[in-house]
Amino acid sequence: MAYQTSDFRNGLKVETEGAPYTIVYFQFVKPGKGTAFTRTKLKNLLTGAQIERTYRSGEILEEADVEEQPMQFLYEQQAVYTFMNTETFEQVEIQGAVLGDDAKFLMENLEVSVLFYKGRAVNVTLPNFIESKVAWTEPAVKGNTSNNITKSCKLECGAEIQVPIFVKEGELLKVDTRDGGSYVSRL
Amino acid sequence: MNVAGLRARAHVVRALHEGLWAEGFLELHPPVLVDGPALEENLEALRAHDGFLHTSPEFSLKRALAGGLPRIYAITPCFRGEEQGPHHATEFTLLELYLQNANYLDLITIVEALVIRAAVAVGASVPAFTRTTVGALFGGEIPEEDDEFYRRWIDEIEPRLLTPTWVLDFPQRHAALAELRGGVAERVELYLSGLELANGFSELGDAEELRQRFMYSAEVRRSRGRDPHPTDEGVLQATARLPRSAGIAVGVDRLVMALTGIRDIEDVRLPR
Repeated sequence: MAYQTSDFRNGLKVETEGAPYTIVYFQFVKPGKGTAFTRTKLKNLLTGAQIERTYRSGEILEEADVEEQPMQFLYEQQAVYTFMNTETFEQVEIQGAVLGDDAKFLMENLEVSVLFYKGRAVNVTLPNFIESKVAWTEPAVKGNTSNNITKSCKLECGAEIQVPIFVKEGELLKVDTRDGGSYVSRL
Repeated sequence: MNVAGLRARAHVVRALHEGLWAEGFLELHPPVLVDGPALEENLEALRAHDGFLHTSPEFSLKRALAGGLPRIYAITPCFRGEEQGPHHATEFTLLELYLQNANYLDLITIVEALVIRAAVAVGASVPAFTRTTVGALFGGEIPEEDDEFYRRWIDEIEPRLLTPTWVLDFPQRHAALAELRGGVAERVELYLSGLELANGFSELGDAEELRQRFMYSAEVRRSRGRDPHPTDEGVLQATARLPRSAGIAVGVDRLVMALTGIRDIEDVRLPR
């Protein structure tokens, strides 16, 4: 499958310069007497880096060989994480390096989206919010309202986050995964 | 439907008519259905019935100019295929004006007065125009090759043309229908709010040279696998009779956009 400049749409996934990109901006440009071009901004699906490219009308870009699959986290063994496709039940192993810091939010049965590029898992997108129980936190010290309005907290999923001082062990918390893990609320 | 855009458009168009009549221009209504769409290798004219929808009223107005009407204009819908985006619509509106005994510098004076009148009509700030040349914009080294010329124009030059700017003196290969003076085309373009708003010429008065340009344009189109636009014999005859003249086309939709800050051409037009 190949795309002409007239097929360009936001979100279209294209292969260029040896990497998969998604079109995040495109505009038809044509000087009145000149030839037509399409100006684009492309986001690298592997690194997140953004580039600007201008294509002449009629130029062709190949479709990127990428696929997103809904998957469920099963277990981890020696920094290899096993996920299962929730539609086909096929299992796939993903190296810890692909997950990076996000690994700390993984819990059994957590549903994620896995991006495959040329058949290889290259990125895992977590849900924006997860729910996890407090495994450990310092007890709140009565009367301590002076300086520390937050304290450390370790969640059952493994992540360590900052929480308000009133949070107790065993409570279920809602946590935002997009900024490395920020407290949202108790549940 | 953007009511503010339509209201601004009405005031701009009225200001243009008033300004043009005040300068002694006569309004004409050119045919939209024509035999020869344009001398344009980079425009796709739409076929209709037994001809084409015009891509601009240029040829009709030139015939009128040569036929004894010395100051004329039209505000008319025009059609260009394969152009779609926030600054392009298949159907759009052009103002074109022509006058005898004038050159491209006279066009600047006339259009500046019209734009100022339109700005006042919609309560926009009055633009302060500057002038530059194609050569200066390219730092003295104008690319020879078309693809590089337009690529750099789009990527490097256009994004810098944010203040009201007249760009003068195009290289010969980008002359279109402009008269040449010392190898430079007396062609001028106006940029307003980053939008290419107007294109004008000291009109080519040499019918034989014009025939050559028709043939060259047809050749370029054939080489790209496009049907050549027919050579318009009427405009060739008119050119042979044409006194020294100048003419310019102004994008009316874009003028409204530039003066109001509206970013999408669909917001200054009645929806289809």
